[in-house]
Amino acid sequence: MSALFARQEARRARGAAAFIAGLSPRGRAGLVAVEVLVVLALWQFLVGTLRLVNPVFLPPPLDIVNGFGELLATGTLGQNLAVSAGSWFTGYALALLIGIPLGLLMGSSLPVDRVVGPIAWTIYAAPSVAYQPLSKAWFGFGTGPVIFLVAISAVFPILFNIAAGMRTTNPSLVRAARVYGASRLDLYRKVFLPSTVPFLFAGLRQAAVLATIGMMVAELTGSSTGIGAVIIRSANTYQTDQSFAAIMIVVVWSIAMTQLVGVAERILAPWNRRKGVGR
Amino acid sequence: MSPTIPVRAIVRPRRRGLLREGELRWRLLLLAVIAVLLLVWEAAVSWLGLVPAVFLPPPTAVLSSFGELVVRGDFWSGFAFSLGNLAVGVVLAVVIGVVVGLAVGWFPVLRFTVAPFLWLLYSTPKVALAPLFILVLGLGSESKIALVFLLAVFPIILNTMEGALTVGGSLVNAGRVFGARGVALGAKVILPGTLPFSLVGIQRGAALGFTGEVLGEFLGGSGGLGHMLERAAFDFKMDQALAIVIVMIAIASLTLALIGALRRRLAPWYDDRATVRVS
Repeated sequence: MSALFARQEARRARGAAAFIAGLSPRGRAGLVAVEVLVVLALWQFLVGTLRLVNPVFLPPPLDIVNGFGELLATGTLGQNLAVSAGSWFTGYALALLIGIPLGLLMGSSLPVDRVVGPIAWTIYAAPSVAYQPLSKAWFGFGTGPVIFLVAISAVFPILFNIAAGMRTTNPSLVRAARVYGASRLDLYRKVFLPSTVPFLFAGLRQAAVLATIGMMVAELTGSSTGIGAVIIRSANTYQTDQSFAAIMIVVVWSIAMTQLVGVAERILAPWNRRKGVGR
Repeated sequence: MSPTIPVRAIVRPRRRGLLREGELRWRLLLLAVIAVLLLVWEAAVSWLGLVPAVFLPPPTAVLSSFGELVVRGDFWSGFAFSLGNLAVGVVLAVVIGVVVGLAVGWFPVLRFTVAPFLWLLYSTPKVALAPLFILVLGLGSESKIALVFLLAVFPIILNTMEGALTVGGSLVNAGRVFGARGVALGAKVILPGTLPFSLVGIQRGAALGFTGEVLGEFLGGSGGLGHMLERAAFDFKMDQALAIVIVMIAIASLTLALIGALRRRLAPWYDDRATVRVS
C-alpha cells in the first residue's frame, strides 16, 4: 500500500517537475518571483498579524519598508552608503593594484610561485576577521581599517586566479607563438593575457563577494560610519526594522557589485567563458 | 591526448621521484625566504627602529608572548570555547547541509523551486545578520553556534546539490538493477558519488564558520579567542594580539588540511580540479 502511494507521489512530482522544466527562462523567473511574494506575504501574516514571533526580532516586511523610509528621510542612508562605497572601491582598487602584478609574477616565475604561494595561502586560510583588531590598532577608527579589510579580503582570489590562468595557458599556443617569432612582450600580450582573462574575471567576481564581507565585518566591529555601523546602531537600539532595511541594502550592494564585474567582463572580454579556481 | 597516456604511465615512477626531490628544494627555499623575512622584520623594528615596536612588535617579542600565552589557563579556556562552538556549528551544518543538498539535487521539483532561493541566500553577505543574532540569542554560546551554522551551511548545501547532479544515470540504474531503492539507493550510490563535492563545501563552510565564530565573539560576550584578541589589541598589547592571530591562522590551516586529507582518503579517485568550486 505504502509502496503504491510512494509511486504515485513520485509520478506526481515528475509531472510538476516536467511542467516547470518546460517553462521558458522568463516563466521560471516568474515562478521564483511568485515564490518570493508568497514567502513575504506569509512572513507578514505570521509575524505582523498573528505575532507568532516577537516583531522586534524579525520585523515583518512592511515594517522593514517603513524602516527603509525612515533611514532615507533622516539622510542616514545616503551619507553612510557613500562612506561604505568609498571604502569598498578604494580597498578593491588596492587589491587590484597588488593582486594583478603579483599574480602575473607568480604565474610566470616558478620560484616566485613556490615561495609566495604557500605564504599567501596561509594568510588567506585565516578568516579576514582575525586581522580586524590589528588593523584597528594600526589605522585608527575611521575608514582605514575598513579599506584594509576590503583589500586583504579581495586580493587573494585575484592573485590565485591570475596565477592559475597563467600556468594553465595552453603550451602549444605558446610554442606556436614562438614559432611565428613572437617576442617576449608579444607572448605576454597576445598569448598569456587573453588566456588569463577568463580566470581574472572569475577572481574578480569572487573578490567582489569577499570584499563586501570584509567591509561588513570591519564596519560592524568598530566603525562609526558606513552601512555596517547603521546596522549595529539600529540593532543596539532595538530598531530592527531599520537594521533589516540596511541589511537588504548590503545584499543589493553585493549583488550589484557582482553584476558590475559581469558587465565589465562582457565589455572587455566578450569571448569569455566562465573558468576559475578558488576554494 | 590519447597517445600521451601510455608514455606517461611508463615514465611516471621515475618522474615522481624527481618531483619529490624538487619539492624538497622548494620547501628549503621557502623556509629560507621566511627566515630572511623574519630577520628583516626583526632588524627593522628592534635594531634600526624604522617602525615603532608598539605598532609592529618584532618576531622575538611575538614569540615570547606566545610562550606566555600557552601557559595561561584563560587562553586554553578561550581556545576550548571557540573550538567547541565552531565544532558544534559545523557538525550541525554538515548534517543539515548534506541532507538538504542531496534532497534538492535529487528531486527535480525541489531543484526548480527551492534551489534559486538557496542560491540567492548563498550569495548574500550573511555576516550582516550577526548583530541581530547577538540581539536575539544573547551573548553566550548559542548566538555563536547559530552564526557558525548560518555561514557554514550554504556552501555545503550548494556543493552537495551540484555534486548530486553529477551522479551518472548509469550508476543509478546499475544500483536499481541490484535492488537498491529509496534510502538504500541514496546511501549506497548517490551519497558516495556526491561525497567529494560535499567535502569541498564542508572545507569552505568550516572556513566561513570560523569567520562567524570570531565575528560573534567580537560583537558580544566575554569568551573565546576572538574576544581575547580584541582585548589585546584594545590594550595595545600588539605582541599578544599577533600571537593570537598566529594561533587562529594555525587553527584555520589545520582544519582545512584535515578536511583536505579526509577528502583524499575518502575519495581518492577524485581529481581535485574536477569538483565544482562554489566560492
